[in-house]
Amino acid sequence: MPSTATQKQQRIGVLQGTLDMLILRTLLYGPAHGHQIGKHIQRTTNEFLQMQHGSLYPALHRLEERGWVSAKWETAPDRNREFKYYRLTDKGRKQLVVEESQWKQMAEAVARVMWPAAEES
Amino acid sequence: MKWWQIKKRDADLERELRSDLELEEEEQRDNGLSAEDARYAARRAFGNQTLIKEHTHEAWGWTPVERLLQDARYAFRQLLRTPGFTLVALLIMACGIGASTAVFSILDSVLLRPYAFRDPGQIVVWREVLQEVAKEYPSVPDNYRHFVYLRSHASTIQDAALIQNASFAIAADGDHPRIEKGLNVSPNFFTMLGVTPMLGRFFLPEDAQPGRNNVIVLSWVAWQDLFHGDSGIVGRTLKMKGQPVTVIGVLPRDFEFPVVNEMRSGASPDQTFPYEIFQPFVPQGDALTSDDAEFAFLVIARLKQGGTVPQASTELSSLLRAYSATNHLTVHLSAVVEPLSQEVTGNIRKALWLLFAAVLGLLLIASVNLASLQLARAIAHERDNALRAALGAGRTRIFQAAFMESVILCLTGAALGIVFAVGGIRIFAAIAPENLPRLHEIRMTWPVLLFSCGISGVAAFLSGTLPALQSLRSDPQYALQSSSTRFSHGGHTSFVRRLLITLEIACTVVLLIVTGLVVRSFSRVLNQPHDFDPSRVILAEADLLSPRYDQPNGSGDSARSEVIDRMLDKIRSTPGVGSAAITSAMPLSGNNYVHSMYRPDHPLPESEVPTANLRNVSPGYFATMQTRLIAGHDLTTSERANPQSAIVSQKAAQAAWPDGQALGRKFKFEGRIYAVIGVAADARIANLKENIPVVYLPFWHDPPGAVFLLIRTSRGLDEFAPLIRRQVWDIDPEAAVPVIEMLDAQVGRSVAPERLVSVVLSLFGVAALVLAILGVYGVLAYSVSLRTPEFGIRVALGSSKLKLIRLVLLETLMPVGGGILLGLLASLAATRAIRSLLYETSPADPLSMVGSVGILLVATFMAAFLPAHRASRIDPMKVLRAE
Repeated sequence: MPSTATQKQQRIGVLQGTLDMLILRTLLYGPAHGHQIGKHIQRTTNEFLQMQHGSLYPALHRLEERGWVSAKWETAPDRNREFKYYRLTDKGRKQLVVEESQWKQMAEAVARVMWPAAEES
Repeated sequence: MKWWQIKKRDADLERELRSDLELEEEEQRDNGLSAEDARYAARRAFGNQTLIKEHTHEAWGWTPVERLLQDARYAFRQLLRTPGFTLVALLIMACGIGASTAVFSILDSVLLRPYAFRDPGQIVVWREVLQEVAKEYPSVPDNYRHFVYLRSHASTIQDAALIQNASFAIAADGDHPRIEKGLNVSPNFFTMLGVTPMLGRFFLPEDAQPGRNNVIVLSWVAWQDLFHGDSGIVGRTLKMKGQPVTVIGVLPRDFEFPVVNEMRSGASPDQTFPYEIFQPFVPQGDALTSDDAEFAFLVIARLKQGGTVPQASTELSSLLRAYSATNHLTVHLSAVVEPLSQEVTGNIRKALWLLFAAVLGLLLIASVNLASLQLARAIAHERDNALRAALGAGRTRIFQAAFMESVILCLTGAALGIVFAVGGIRIFAAIAPENLPRLHEIRMTWPVLLFSCGISGVAAFLSGTLPALQSLRSDPQYALQSSSTRFSHGGHTSFVRRLLITLEIACTVVLLIVTGLVVRSFSRVLNQPHDFDPSRVILAEADLLSPRYDQPNGSGDSARSEVIDRMLDKIRSTPGVGSAAITSAMPLSGNNYVHSMYRPDHPLPESEVPTANLRNVSPGYFATMQTRLIAGHDLTTSERANPQSAIVSQKAAQAAWPDGQALGRKFKFEGRIYAVIGVAADARIANLKENIPVVYLPFWHDPPGAVFLLIRTSRGLDEFAPLIRRQVWDIDPEAAVPVIEMLDAQVGRSVAPERLVSVVLSLFGVAALVLAILGVYGVLAYSVSLRTPEFGIRVALGSSKLKLIRLVLLETLMPVGGGILLGLLASLAATRAIRSLLYETSPADPLSMVGSVGILLVATFMAAFLPAHRASRIDPMKVLRAE
């Protein structure tokens, strides 16, 4: 089972609000469909971030609704099947910059609280 | 995204999820799992697909709408599952909303829709008050000289115009002339109202010079009817009363000046058609010089911006008082100003508001009834709702779903109701009194549709809130644990339902009492002795318009007298005619031709001189009308050359000779001395509701131009009417005969507003009663079905049938008794408000009260008895086994 108690301790769910940023960042490499995006985030973090389909698809559709990504059914290059490919839009690119800087500020702020000594030295 | 694309998007999402699921499955297979295990693993990885879909839908932002539609679909299915209930509920709401819409559309066009003038709210009517006769006539028409003075001195008035009702005889296509109603108006009349001509021009000041007023303006209708909308009409000359007149303008289509009367509330039944012809008013004769007589005109005025009616009233009154003081007038004057809209709708205003209040009451009863029915359903669905709550449905969602049913019922009811209303308006227009102001303007309009949408919303709110709240009360654990489908519910619901019934009964009591009073008052108007018998009397109006009657020094009058005598002779000799006579005023057209009765032997101050309505009649009048002569004898043809006799009505006799000895006494009337040769019973010939003093004079002293023939005959109207026309035209081919009908019809028309209100209110009363019966029955039947196990046990333990019946009936005692008490209290206020609509009927009329309550008690008892009887026949064995 992918969600036993022990696994849960090792893998954490994606933080609320960061999923959008992660998806946008992933799409920077080029168009991808939902499955690829989920797998990519999971693999890049060495399975540390657990991708929930329950939040991935609503997030994708939310981004599309906001115009940050566009979606299109296209045939995959390696096989004879159509997938729904998401593509970063110009608006999405700008949003990614915004979210990234926000995240940085947040991480730094958290770090200052958590490790004040390290900050001073 | 647009919400109608949701279906497409949903399919798209489905396909996306499926394709990704397959990818996941392939991946799992690549990891070495068997096909079946791979499928399960992929499914597990994906989790709850329905939930994913729901969350994704939320991302689209149309969830509230989707849920609403879902609830609507669900509510529809629920309603279709109980077609009987749905049909009844729909009919109740459709009737309630339909009736309200119909009444409102009448109210809207008769009372609320503004006239097609500029700022119609600023237009007022002013009349004078003559202190000397104020007791009998609170206001009198205007005097020309006073009008001129006030118009130039009043600062609250922007402009004012004088008008006078007139009949114009137009010979459009040769033949016999047609009578068209119209107005003589000051030349500034149209500019004051703010209308612009559709064709040609309106009057100029010089058109009102003596001899220059041979110009007319046509209403749009007259232009269509008489000249078929001929665009070259302006400048055409035609003959009116033998004289050439020129058409100078045509009014726009939407302009219509309401029928007004010089006398207040003298709206006479013969004035039902719109004004078609307008001619400049030329002041002449006594009007130019008299300051204490000649009250014969009506003033229409426009208030200054920001001016109010009371301000104008006060100013005009003080100006008139000053005027009569400085000119040493013998009369004491003041003025009374009224908005035009109020003047026109006068009496009908209150009646229509009463109908409106009644129909809203009916709608309230219908809503309460639906609420009560819905509440029963909410209780029946308690388990469903408990299950939904247990599965995690939010409170808003449950409330919304339950509320939806009422919304659907009310909206569908409203749609049906509007269809009903359109039909209702048609029926109303057909049965409504013809003299209802602005009747032909009644139609469906946007404000009316908006109104019916509004009230259906209110009805949905009224009928849906309580049941929806009820559905929130179900406690999942409690409801689901109970094995029976009929678990006992808290006392709360039955309390609310009883409260609703109380309210319903209270409304019904008020409606029934008001209806009872109005119907009683109407039947009193009809059934009191009115001392004349209109049945089998034909009424025909012959207008003698030939120029030869206009000859000076009395020869015109004698020509007219001779023609009238010849007509009477001819008609009397027709087979089938019992008797025939004439009178100078349209019967039942109100108080008019009022003059003072001076006694030479007993002079009185002007303010105490009794007055009476003058009627010029021919011998045989009393026999034809079947009015009793209490003393003396009828007029005779012997004094044709020099009329000196009069017959007075009992009331006039008492007013002039309080000692009771009228016969043989002399009095001065209209400048001549007459001797009383007869006293007639008090016939209500002016108005069924009013006993007015009348002086009957032999018509030869002043033969009328408009002759009202009264013919008592056994022959039918259809057969006789052409004969009468021919006989009149044989004698005077230039006479117009605008009216031939049964006198009965004229009497009926004079009480048509009262009849209408009585009939419509009675319909509402019956509807309310039916709803009340339905309500009581519904509540009780449901309560009995819920308590079947309890009753079964009671019977098993030895309770008698009678005791069970009494138990059930007692349940209705509180709400019905409370409702009646509440209704009686409310009706105290309601009946006081309609006091002015009642004729010789006390607002606290015991028969109406007792009758209404009695009918309601019998009806509710019958409604309650059925369920009670059913309760008494419960078979304990069956019930206990079922448990």
